Amino acid sequence: MSALQAVDWSVFRISLQVAVLATLLCVGVGTPLAWWIARSRPVVSGVLSSLALVPLVLPPVSVGYYLLYLFGRQSGFGDFLIDDLGLRIVFSWYGAGIAAAVVALPLYVRTAQAGFEQISPSLLDVAATMTAPRTRFLRVVLPLAWPSLAAATLIALARSVGEFGATVVVAGSIPGSTRTVPAAIYDAVQGGDHALANALALVTAAGGLVILVALTALLRRARRP
Amino acid sequence: MSDSLLHADFRVDLGAFGLEFAQEMGQETVVIFGPSGSGKSVALRAIAGLLRPSAGRIEIAGRPVFDAAAGLDVPPHQRDAAWVPQDLGLFPHLSVLENVLFGMAGDSVTRRSRAHDLLALTGIEALADRRPRTISGGQAQRVALARAIARERPLLLLDEPFSALDEVIRDSLRGELRRLCRELGRGAVFVTHDLREAYLLADRLVVLVDGHILQTGRPDEPFLHPADRRVAALMGFRNLFRGEVVALGADSVEVQVGAHRWRSAVEPARFRVGEAVDVGVRAERVAMRRNVPEELGPNMLRATLVQDDGYGLNHLLRFRPEVPGPEIEVDLPARPYRVLGVTEGASWTLELAPGDVHLMPVVAD
Repeated sequence: MSALQAVDWSVFRISLQVAVLATLLCVGVGTPLAWWIARSRPVVSGVLSSLALVPLVLPPVSVGYYLLYLFGRQSGFGDFLIDDLGLRIVFSWYGAGIAAAVVALPLYVRTAQAGFEQISPSLLDVAATMTAPRTRFLRVVLPLAWPSLAAATLIALARSVGEFGATVVVAGSIPGSTRTVPAAIYDAVQGGDHALANALALVTAAGGLVILVALTALLRRARRP
Repeated sequence: MSDSLLHADFRVDLGAFGLEFAQEMGQETVVIFGPSGSGKSVALRAIAGLLRPSAGRIEIAGRPVFDAAAGLDVPPHQRDAAWVPQDLGLFPHLSVLENVLFGMAGDSVTRRSRAHDLLALTGIEALADRRPRTISGGQAQRVALARAIARERPLLLLDEPFSALDEVIRDSLRGELRRLCRELGRGAVFVTHDLREAYLLADRLVVLVDGHILQTGRPDEPFLHPADRRVAALMGFRNLFRGEVVALGADSVEVQVGAHRWRSAVEPARFRVGEAVDVGVRAERVAMRRNVPEELGPNMLRATLVQDDGYGLNHLLRFRPEVPGPEIEVDLPARPYRVLGVTEGASWTLELAPGDVHLMPVVAD
């Protein structure tokens, strides 16, 4: 019980914030990207698909390092964000969200792409002869691919909750501001507080399990005709 | 032409395959017939706007929809044509009624009432709330037709839509398609590799082979007067020989095939003596005689039966002539086969009526 009392509950809020932002970014960027890859010619699709997988190959720490460079004062883009737009992404929770999104994006894109590729080309052609591309996407593509898109979203969410390497490099581990559950666990382990580390991991696992089970059940229910 | 539904003259290049297609049609059913890989579906897709030709021009219902020179390429959904693919492309997540409603214009009440009318017209009103995967192939076909008609486009583009169905259902659907096109005043381009279907549906038949239109005309034209041996082979001519024109008569041409000299009732002006020709004779049109006359008349030859293959209610018989020359096939229904007593002796006289000896200019393969 004493370990639970020592828990700084803000880490859960921040983790959730980071994971939700990362998932939203994955859906927003990954859906059109996956659609584009699925509908491209084989060569283009192969190249794009491989490029989209690069963050999965890189150690998250190096993903974080490159993002730190991109958003920091070292790059022109970072300067532009900070000076012209007033956006300070480094050492902010949304910086952590962006980092988690980059790491989770390949998983989202792969899963969504598989869903898009399953749609029979003749259905898309028929729809193309009947309606404009936007309506076709909303009324044919999304309804047919949504189980895969939902699964991709779940995977992205789960991956973002657990992300540590990239987020900690970009956002650090500032208590109450950017310290996520994984960062708190790391700090606890470093500080030799194994009870706290265990408590954090257990609560995360339990909470994550409840959310995932609930979402999966919801999905299964919605998928039933 | 003001009542022209389709004016197409275009070329499609797909790597090693090229298609040249030119057709002009009004309110009629044009059947594009050809073997697999001949480019039938490619032609249809180009007209529908699903595939961009590399050159040429397409007009649908008097409106240009593609013009390579002018850089015009109207998107598929804005063309005045409704397309039905081979697998029908029914949306699995929508009910039969929603499938028909999809792509219909107008306010919701009018659309629904028209969709119900169409379901009644195609005999599937009872299925309105069913999902496509719960209905039969024939019913799915009717849904696809109803959905295409619901688009209220003057031109229907149908890509082998009956190919997955059994013959009985195909037969009734063919009749229905003709009726619907007539009643609703639509033109249709129908693609098939089924000769019978092509013949039964077509007001006009277009024979397409290896990306080239070899012949176009009334459906019996390619059947009876194929333009060349490729068309003849497709139209089921089993006897195709190389011959040489040896004499021109007043209303016929004499041709030498091996040691045979046959008279063909064709327009002599189209040929000259010494010219190589392809000679086609339908296996169904060869007459067989048991009693061998002393003196052989013109277009008669003595032959020995060397092969007898029964298929269904017919027999395909293969004869070897007594004089040097190609073997000849005869297609004989079961009843004359029995009456003639084909199994009782191998020696026969065959007769080819001059009207059934068809001459064609030789084309390079």
